[in-house]
Amino acid sequence: MLRELWAARGVLVILARKDFYVKYRRTALGVVWAVGVPLVQATVLAIVFTHVVGIGRGVAGSQRGYAVFLYAALVPWNYLVNAGPTASTAIVDNVALAGKIYFPRALPVLVTAMSAVYPLVIGLVLLLGMAVLVGNGVGVAFLLVFPGAALCVLLVICVGLCLSALHVYFRDIRYIVTAVLSVGFYLTPIIYPLSRPHGTLRHLLAIGPAAGPIEIFRAATVGADSSYGLAVLACAGWCLVFGGIGFWLQCRRDRVFVDLL
Amino acid sequence: MSNQVISLRGVSKSYVKYEDAPMLINALRLRARSRRSSLLALADIDLDIAAGESVGVLGRNGAGKSTLLQLLSGVTAPSSGVVKVRGKVAPLISVGVGFHPELTGRENVYVNGTILGMPTAEIDRRFESIVEFAEVEDFIDTPVKFYSSGMFVRLGFAVAVAAEPDVLLVDEVLAVGDFAFQLKCFARMQEIRAQGTTIVVVSHNVNVVRGFCSRSIVMSHGQKVFDGPTFDAISAFYNVVGKEVAEDVYLAGELVSHGAVVESLSLHSGADPAATLHFDSGDDVVLRMAVRATTDIDHPVMGMTITAESGTVVYSDTNLMSPFPPLAADEVGVYEMRLTLRLPSGGYFATASLHSAHGGTSVQLARAVPVTFYVSGRGLASGVADLGGSFHRAAP
Repeated sequence: MLRELWAARGVLVILARKDFYVKYRRTALGVVWAVGVPLVQATVLAIVFTHVVGIGRGVAGSQRGYAVFLYAALVPWNYLVNAGPTASTAIVDNVALAGKIYFPRALPVLVTAMSAVYPLVIGLVLLLGMAVLVGNGVGVAFLLVFPGAALCVLLVICVGLCLSALHVYFRDIRYIVTAVLSVGFYLTPIIYPLSRPHGTLRHLLAIGPAAGPIEIFRAATVGADSSYGLAVLACAGWCLVFGGIGFWLQCRRDRVFVDLL
Repeated sequence: MSNQVISLRGVSKSYVKYEDAPMLINALRLRARSRRSSLLALADIDLDIAAGESVGVLGRNGAGKSTLLQLLSGVTAPSSGVVKVRGKVAPLISVGVGFHPELTGRENVYVNGTILGMPTAEIDRRFESIVEFAEVEDFIDTPVKFYSSGMFVRLGFAVAVAAEPDVLLVDEVLAVGDFAFQLKCFARMQEIRAQGTTIVVVSHNVNVVRGFCSRSIVMSHGQKVFDGPTFDAISAFYNVVGKEVAEDVYLAGELVSHGAVVESLSLHSGADPAATLHFDSGDDVVLRMAVRATTDIDHPVMGMTITAESGTVVYSDTNLMSPFPPLAADEVGVYEMRLTLRLPSGGYFATASLHSAHGGTSVQLARAVPVTFYVSGRGLASGVADLGGSFHRAAP
């Protein structure tokens, strides 16, 4: 299976590029949509939570600092939101091609994870600009965004491998993923720092799958949290569980998925 | 044998059909079992195809043709048995699989070529010839959604054959293109076959298979019912079609009879006593009907009709004005219609009926189940009838 995937790496790159082109081809603003939306989202959240809810300043000292704090989390979070659902339904959604020609069924999952990397990279650049211009500047620690982004991609691939295989059998997965992500926005330390809740709740929130990459992004821009290590470890654990089950399913079911599509 | 490119041994494929959708909630209930039934799409198929051979696969819808293709392309695994296919397989199945309407022709060539296993450098090298073959030079940088369906097929075909696969699987696609393009495709397929590519053509269109394959297999209800020369395969295919059509007609209850029962209806080539279902245009053919009378029939009359697959009545006739001699109850009358089949290529139905004549009018007593047969026409003649024309250059 790994060998087949490796042999298909050329296809992977071409398909990922195609996916990305197709997504923005007919839009006037093109890729601006991919990075503009989180930017607007961060600004609006910063204003609302500073002036309406009133936690912004307490978290990051200033509204501007809070904006950077938010954007640092939104860059990885939006990658998960973009790539996660598509990766989870990738096998079923590629039925037209899959019914005609053989390629490892895990390939569309990887393609989705890859094609969403382009906006992620642009998001990183904007994050750097934002941290320098409105935040407190950056240091060598900013390089942490790279392992952070890598962890994001890994998480999507692992979860995608597992869920896309299950989705062939249980079409409910599509809706479950959407539901989990919309609830997950509040159960993940995006609008609040992990240091704010106390005791068990803090640990529970830290072991959420998305907390790991977000905490790395925070460490890269506004400083690490005390539960940083736990969050990263937990995320690695999730990857291992989902990735393990996913890989096993993909190996065993590779050639029979198509019968159920 | 070592030069077999495709080898199937005892291959079966069954699909599980869930009567109710497998819900997550049912899966969680430990003892709940969703009702399922199994559907046998292919049963115990043995097949060997050598390098450079081109083999046709004939069968009606649901005979297992598509499943066979999916097994050959490796898309799905057999339920039992062994499928061995050596080398790179390129499917030419449905128009431009993997073409994205928003991408330009050029981009789609690269995407599709890569999916078919060509490295980018190779696509670069062959790009010119692909575009030239597809005749889309002026539109190569236009999104393919603006392409005509013909351009779409041409580009899809051009990419698939450019991949120089070891095995080319051809589905109904070619039926889509216009005639000139079909000829061009056949020429190209002949070229790559000469280079050693094995070609499997799957179709319910006999013309496509006849034009290209010397050997064909006939599928019916998931089984291989014939494997041999295409000419005989076409006869076998029409035999299968005829039986299945007969079942349909019986089910429709169209064959009410009173006064006589048709025992058999068959087509024969000239004086050959054995029935056949595949003729060449211009053959002298006998349509023979055996009828058992259940009452005395004073003036038995035969009627017959040949209908093209399109539904057009090609020829219809009766001997109403000169009836056969009387037929007594329980007697069997064998009646023949002798005719010359001057028809273009295609599938046809022949049916016959027995009537009782009463001074210029008649009452139908019995009707035979239609016989389906195939005619291989002369050259490129097409239309309703072959009037036997020939081309000459005359002095000005």
